[in-house]
Amino acid sequence: MSEGTANIWRNGLWDNNPGLVQLLGLCPLLAISSTTVNGLGLGLATTVVLLVTSAAVSLLRSALAPEIRIPAFVLIIATTVTAVDLVLQAWLHDLSRTLGIFVPLIVTNCTILARAEAFASRRPLAAAVHDGLAQGVGFAAVLILLGAGRELVGHGTILADLDLLLGERFADFSVQVLPFDSGLLIALLPPGAFIGLGLMVALRQHLIQRSQPEPRMVREHEEPAQS
Amino acid sequence: MIPSNAAWLVLALIGLAAAIALAGLNELTRERIDQEQTARAMSAVTGMLPADSYDNDLLDDSTTLSIAGFERVAIVYQARMAGEPVAAVIDVTTPRGYSGDIRLLVAVDAGGTVLGVDVLEHRETPGLGDRIESRRSDWLRQFVGRSLNDPEPAGWAPDRRGGEFDTLTSATITVDAVVDAVRRALEAFESRDERLFSDPQAMRDST
Repeated sequence: MSEGTANIWRNGLWDNNPGLVQLLGLCPLLAISSTTVNGLGLGLATTVVLLVTSAAVSLLRSALAPEIRIPAFVLIIATTVTAVDLVLQAWLHDLSRTLGIFVPLIVTNCTILARAEAFASRRPLAAAVHDGLAQGVGFAAVLILLGAGRELVGHGTILADLDLLLGERFADFSVQVLPFDSGLLIALLPPGAFIGLGLMVALRQHLIQRSQPEPRMVREHEEPAQS
Repeated sequence: MIPSNAAWLVLALIGLAAAIALAGLNELTRERIDQEQTARAMSAVTGMLPADSYDNDLLDDSTTLSIAGFERVAIVYQARMAGEPVAAVIDVTTPRGYSGDIRLLVAVDAGGTVLGVDVLEHRETPGLGDRIESRRSDWLRQFVGRSLNDPEPAGWAPDRRGGEFDTLTSATITVDAVVDAVRRALEAFESRDERLFSDPQAMRDST
C-alpha cells in the first residue's frame, strides 16, 4: 500500500473520521444506531453509496464544469441511493423495513457530498475509490460501535436480529450478555445516541492527547462541506 | 455565473443516464419487491389461524369492513369450512398510537371471540411501546378468548384507566390504542353488514 493510500485510510478511519471528527451525517448515525445490526446494515449501505459516488464523480471530474458540479453530484448521489434502496427492498426485504426511511435519507448524508466535493472530484479513480471505502468503513465502524453500546446497555444483548441481515440461519445468533430484558431505556432513545456519540468522541480525544500532549492539527487541509 | 452550453449538456446527459439506469433497475426489481410484500402479508394472515380449521383460500376470500371512528376501512379475510363461516382475520389500522399508525391483525371466530391478535406495523418507542410486539412480550396474549361482553364495555381499557387489560409501564397510550382498536374491530364484526360471509360466488360476481 503506497503512502498516499495509507494516508487515505488513516484519514477515513481515525484522523478525519466522518462520524467522530467531521461529525457529518449525524441524522442517520444517531437515529439508526439503536442496535448493532441496524448500524451494520446502514453502515454497509452508506459505504456502498460512498464507493459508487466517489468512483462516478472521479471518472466524470474532467467533464464537470465548476458551475454544474454540485447539481451533478446531487444527481449521482440520488441515483445511487435510489438504486441501493431498490436492491435492499428486493433482496433484503426485512432489513429494508427496519432501516425504513433512513436508506432514502442517505441522500442527505452530507459525508457523501463532502467527499465528492473535497476529494473525489480532484483525484484519480483509484484514490477516490480508496477514499470512498475508507470513509464508508470509518462511518460504519462508528455506527456499529455506537449500536453495540446502545444495544448492550438498553437490551443487554449483542447482535440481536442478525437474521434480518443474513437470513434465517442466524436467527439465534444473538448473545445475551447482560442478564436483563429491558435495561437502561435512555440508551435506546435519541438522548442515548447523543450521549453515546459524545462519549466516543471524548474517548478518541483522550487517546490522542495521551499519545501526544499537544493537540495535533487535522491532517487534511480541506474544508468539510457545510451540512 | 451562467453555465455554458457545454456544461448544461453534460448535466442533461448525466440526468438522462441516471433516469435510464433507474428505470432499468426498477423493472428488474419490481416483481421481486411485490412478491416479498405479498409473501409477508400472506404469511402473517394465514399464521393467525390453524391451517386445518378452514378449507377455503383465505387470502382470496376477503372483503372490507368500515370501522366506526377510523377513517381507514379494515380488510377482512374470511375463513370457511365446507362453505360455513368459521373465523375471520381483520386487518385493522388505528391512528391512535403514540407515534402514528398501528396496524393489527385480529383473528375472531364466527361467534365473535378473539382467537389471537398480532401487530403488523407500528412506530412506537423502542423499549417502551414496542413491547406490544409478540416477539418481545406476551402482552398480546391476554386478548385471546375475549369478546365484546368479556370484559364488559367499560372494561375495554388499560387497567391504568380503570379497564381490565394490563398496562405496559410507560406505554399507556400505545396499550390504549391497541385495546381500543381490537374493541372497535370486534364491534364492526358483530354489527357486520350482510356482505360479510356472503356467498363467495355472489361476492366474486359483484367485484
